[in-house]
Amino acid sequence: MSRPAHPHAMAPHTPGRTRTAPPQMPSTWWSAPRIRNYLLFDATGIVYYLISFLAIGMVQALARGPESWEAVMTRLRHPAYIAFHVLCLVSVVFVAVRFFSLFPKAQPKAIGPIKPPPGPVIHAMLYVVWLGITAIMTAILAGVIF
Amino acid sequence: MNVFRHDIVIVGGGGAGLRAAIEAAENHPNASIALVSKVYPMRSHTVSAEGGAAAVAREDDNLELHGFDTVKGSDFLGDQDCIVYFVEQAPKELALLENWGCPFSRNEDGSVATRAFGGMTTKRTWYAADKIGFHMLHALFQHSMRFPNIVRYDEYFVSKLLVDGGRCNGVAALDIRTGEYCTILGRAVILTTGGGGKIFPFTTNGTIKTADGMALAYRAGVPLKDMEFVQYHPTGLPGTGILITEATRGEGGYLKNNKGERFLVDYDYGVGKKAELGPRDMISRAIVQEIEAGRGFEGAYGAYVHLDLTHLGAEVINTKLPFVRELAKTYVGVDPITTPIPIRPVVHYMMGGVDTNIHGATTLPGLYAAGETACVSINGANRLGSNSLTECLVFGAAAARHAMSFSKDSAAPNEKALVAQCEEEAGRVANLRGRKKGGEKISAIRRELNNVMEACCGVYREQTSMQTGVIATAQLRGRVADLRLEDSSKVFNTELITAMELQNMVEVAETIAVSAAHRKESRGAHTCKDYKGRDDSNYLYHTMTHHDPAGPRLGKKDVVLGKWIPEERKY
Amino acid sequence: MADKTIVITRFDPDKDQAPRKQEYKVPCEPDWKVLDAINFIKDELDGSVAHRWSCRMAVCGSCGMMVNGEPKLTCKTSINDYGDRVDIEPLANFPIVRDLVVDLDGFMHKFQSVKPWIIRAKEKAADPIAARAALHPVKGTYSQSADQLATFKQFSMCINCMLCYAACPVVANEPEFLGPAAIALGHRYNMDSRDEGQGERNEIFRGEGTVFSCSYANECSEVCPKNVDPAAAVNQAKFGAVIDWAKNLVLPRGGA
Repeated sequence: MSRPAHPHAMAPHTPGRTRTAPPQMPSTWWSAPRIRNYLLFDATGIVYYLISFLAIGMVQALARGPESWEAVMTRLRHPAYIAFHVLCLVSVVFVAVRFFSLFPKAQPKAIGPIKPPPGPVIHAMLYVVWLGITAIMTAILAGVIF
Repeated sequence: MNVFRHDIVIVGGGGAGLRAAIEAAENHPNASIALVSKVYPMRSHTVSAEGGAAAVAREDDNLELHGFDTVKGSDFLGDQDCIVYFVEQAPKELALLENWGCPFSRNEDGSVATRAFGGMTTKRTWYAADKIGFHMLHALFQHSMRFPNIVRYDEYFVSKLLVDGGRCNGVAALDIRTGEYCTILGRAVILTTGGGGKIFPFTTNGTIKTADGMALAYRAGVPLKDMEFVQYHPTGLPGTGILITEATRGEGGYLKNNKGERFLVDYDYGVGKKAELGPRDMISRAIVQEIEAGRGFEGAYGAYVHLDLTHLGAEVINTKLPFVRELAKTYVGVDPITTPIPIRPVVHYMMGGVDTNIHGATTLPGLYAAGETACVSINGANRLGSNSLTECLVFGAAAARHAMSFSKDSAAPNEKALVAQCEEEAGRVANLRGRKKGGEKISAIRRELNNVMEACCGVYREQTSMQTGVIATAQLRGRVADLRLEDSSKVFNTELITAMELQNMVEVAETIAVSAAHRKESRGAHTCKDYKGRDDSNYLYHTMTHHDPAGPRLGKKDVVLGKWIPEERKY
Repeated sequence: MADKTIVITRFDPDKDQAPRKQEYKVPCEPDWKVLDAINFIKDELDGSVAHRWSCRMAVCGSCGMMVNGEPKLTCKTSINDYGDRVDIEPLANFPIVRDLVVDLDGFMHKFQSVKPWIIRAKEKAADPIAARAALHPVKGTYSQSADQLATFKQFSMCINCMLCYAACPVVANEPEFLGPAAIALGHRYNMDSRDEGQGERNEIFRGEGTVFSCSYANECSEVCPKNVDPAAAVNQAKFGAVIDWAKNLVLPRGGA
């Protein structure tokens, strides 16, 4: 194990009666496949952080007037921006899929007399809601509705 | 040296120990109870019990039937006063365990479900799928945590009972973590350390089951009782000896030979209509005879027969026997839903143990014992499956009640003398630690002991091999004093613990061999090829073995009979 | 039979400043588990190796270790699932006492702090012995349907092997975190139809370093050898704690 964990991780309640070696994290803490999935899941936060700047920039441009807005639109056609947006899309899909897969089992077994539907049904419902919202948003943006 | 003072000291943190601690703590909130165990309590071997715990629960059942089944199962060597008390207390104790959170399997109406078990007339074995021991241990342990007056000494190894003025007043315990000895004082001591299956090579028992409590009491001058009766469980996995529960047969599983015959039905083994639900001693003998008749299968770890569950269907196996399926898949690569499980008889339980009365009291004032380490005796010459967990509860509680009242009435111990004894013990063990001048290797002696005992005390025994066993164990007792140890560190020195455990096992093994060689009859688990049949006129008594520097000294104790008169044991 | 190099982490506080590695050549049989290889070393090659084990049938929970960086129950893991070199280390995220032995005291206290026992709010037997005398196997036990049993049974299967603590990234970084097994066992009693202590436990669960510290990495459930799914328990406990808090807000003192 190559990387120390927090020096007080799982520290004894009463001070140890003999000297101990500090807790370690497994040497594979970043490379084992399932841990990598979790790290990627957490790392998508960086992507959202970045795109929030982009969104704020776009709102500001809108406020400054049509020229400014056009400039932003031109800039967004740059391959780097397109690549970034693809990355955002992949991140969102990844997070959604992982979150949806973990969501059903985290539900309470019952709230009073009400029981949640079985796991696969919750799972399917999440996808339906997600795709539904996406469709509505697309429709609004495309000007089909409103 | 650290000296800790308590009202009572319990040695062993399994089913019986935890039950005793809870009983004492609940009824005496101001008393301080020490619970000393060489492992964390949830590691205790109670955890491995699978099938269930027996107590009368159904309308079609009664105490009389449970009592008679137990007496008959014991081949009439069980003490009937103790058995009557046991069956009376059993339902209450299991109801308590249920109240404390044990997740018993349920009937449709929400009541606790029961299943059939070997030697029992009707369904009276309460179960939690096939992990009752695990659930019972964890329910007891977790329940015990609520009592602030239970002071746990986890990973402390007790190597000597401290006796002064004819009373047992505490223990000398090695703190495994620091390697330092401490004196744990109490006005009464309860031994609940389990059996010693590890004396044998092929056993369902975990590595911690090394007969420590029996050896402690024996050295302190308390006799061991009925040590020749070692139970072979019919169904263990070849190689590892991992237990496949009797509940597999309770749920309808078949034992089959290499011709695909249900040999318990097709041949006369004395179990009659009970077939697979016969008592363990009889089924184990039947399996050995099948193998000797050439109707077994040959395997890398010796011959075996089949335990066939395939006709039960996936539903029953997955809901009632999921652990069996997990074990078979992990340890022999067989899925019981589609394929029979290879099994052979395996050392499982010691009916014998520290001689106690109905209250769990030994002949040494202040010393009590309960569970497998004790011999009350309700099990006699053969224990019925699912009686042992209940025994832990019933007699664990009884021992605690009587130990508490004993501790209230007794005078303060002579601390100075006891601490001096503990210091002497600490000195002895300090010499053993890292003892490089020794000539004997731990693993070699253990292997030799295992082989000697398997040859001496198998399912079938012969006078000549038992005599050889007596001589060989006596020699081993000499040699085990001269162990060579490599680890001289103080912190968590497991080699030192292993060495002391081996010394305990050798000492207890000798009592097994001596007791077995002396009993010239066949009764229950003690089946002697030279003496067919039970001999009530000469051997209807408990074998007692007393400690003596020259080797175990034999004695006798009368069996308490009652309303059930010994008769031929046929099912 | 195949010769394998088994690398064991050695640490003796009397002699070693820090943990070191020691290699052993072990002739491994085809059906051996990792534990068998360690026991071979202990018995035949080096008696000073310290490790915990007992039942060797995956139920006592003693023998959890890191095998090639993954938390494993060594009695349940085949040595031949690995290559010629197998790295065996003490459980991650725990202070190391000696060689493959870790300090469990921290866990035991966290475990105890969630009150893992049946709490009955109203009935408190004044005389437990008299109450016991009245106990009847049917009348004296609680009724519990198969459905009610199923809501917590899975969480009661925890063998306290600590693999989940070794896998959990929050445990590694947040010393106060109660951790997967302790929360799962607290939640197990919350879900038990016989228990009435949900209020007390939910209050504990709303405290610092408890259920809400969990980032749902799901690592605990991935490594659990008994399919307890502690991640499900922890995240159900989050809901439970919030619902309980909301209830208290609307109906203080449970409406009573």
